Amino acid sequence: MNAEELLSRLGAQFAGIEKTSVAVKDYPTVRLSDPSALGAVFSWLKKQGFEYLDMITAVDYKGPVSPKGYVMDPNPNAFLPEGATPQVEAPTATPGFPYREAIELVYCASHLKGKLKLFLKVELPRQNPSAPSLAGLFKTADWQEREVFDLLGVRFEGHPNLTKILTPDFIQGHPLRKDYEHVPDRFDR
Amino acid sequence: MGVILERLPGVAKGLPGGELLLTTADTVIDWGRKSSVWPLTFGLACCAIEMMASYASRFDFDRMGVIPRPTPRQADVMIVAGTVVKKMADPIIQIYHQMPEPRFVISMGSCANCGGPYWDSYSVVKGVDKIIPVDVYIAGCPPRPEALQYAVIKLQEKIMKMKLAATRGAAPQQASGSRELDPAKALG
Repeated sequence: MNAEELLSRLGAQFAGIEKTSVAVKDYPTVRLSDPSALGAVFSWLKKQGFEYLDMITAVDYKGPVSPKGYVMDPNPNAFLPEGATPQVEAPTATPGFPYREAIELVYCASHLKGKLKLFLKVELPRQNPSAPSLAGLFKTADWQEREVFDLLGVRFEGHPNLTKILTPDFIQGHPLRKDYEHVPDRFDR
Repeated sequence: MGVILERLPGVAKGLPGGELLLTTADTVIDWGRKSSVWPLTFGLACCAIEMMASYASRFDFDRMGVIPRPTPRQADVMIVAGTVVKKMADPIIQIYHQMPEPRFVISMGSCANCGGPYWDSYSVVKGVDKIIPVDVYIAGCPPRPEALQYAVIKLQEKIMKMKLAATRGAAPQQASGSRELDPAKALG
């Protein structure tokens, strides 16, 4: 099975799958429109030989937020002396970038015998994002989904133990969200 | 200290002057302490790579009496080499209290001094001196092995100034209560 064959078979098998305009490196990259079909897609992929789930990660596509939150665009006025007229309006959005109220899950699965790698993206709404868990299919998914839950707050339905994995218990919120505001804890004195 | 009092007469016999050696107890004990500054094998981040290089043969920490110990109960100094994240802060306090007195802390690198490049992070303690008292700070990101050795020399100079009667054997900031973590309060 090569990449074109895989893409055509995926498209024939599932309705909401299409190739993305920009691929991750040169790997076949597809977008799945319906998150609830994730379990079906990956169980089909596993039967085709995609036995290894490389990683699960997520991206927050929210644009620049309030100056209190984590603004990812640089503020060029930050180092001006006090009272100076700001030279650039800040923060500014990168023109042309598709900011939207969405969190995108990125899955990567490997066909080890066929030397094939597939990237699959699913968009979730930013409010109460949830997706079906793959922990029953791939053991890797257990910790990877816990990490995505910890840092971006995506709930994985059916996960056996969806708890924090990286941040300590007293850190509130999900730090990789663009509108994360840090609540001072006992070490921020 | 018991070892010094037991063995010193034997050492003095071998000296050219004879069996009599006149000095103060402070000098002898501080000399003994400074000549065997044993650090805890404890690396947190990339500064630990420089710390390992200092222990290795090219820079040869042994010649100063610095031998890494695998347990806090045998260690005199804790070299905090790297970023102190909030999750690691509680174990650091625990390890610090497991070390016998007098105990010293070297804060190595920008991250351990003040948070460094992670100053604005949600997960990093902004300086290890927020949780334990620090004796010597080393600047750098990371500091070179020479800088770490210079810090140990500075620590040895500090140890030589210690007075037994004033501090009852503890480091100055621990003299007025070893469990006090706030250096300002500890120094009174």
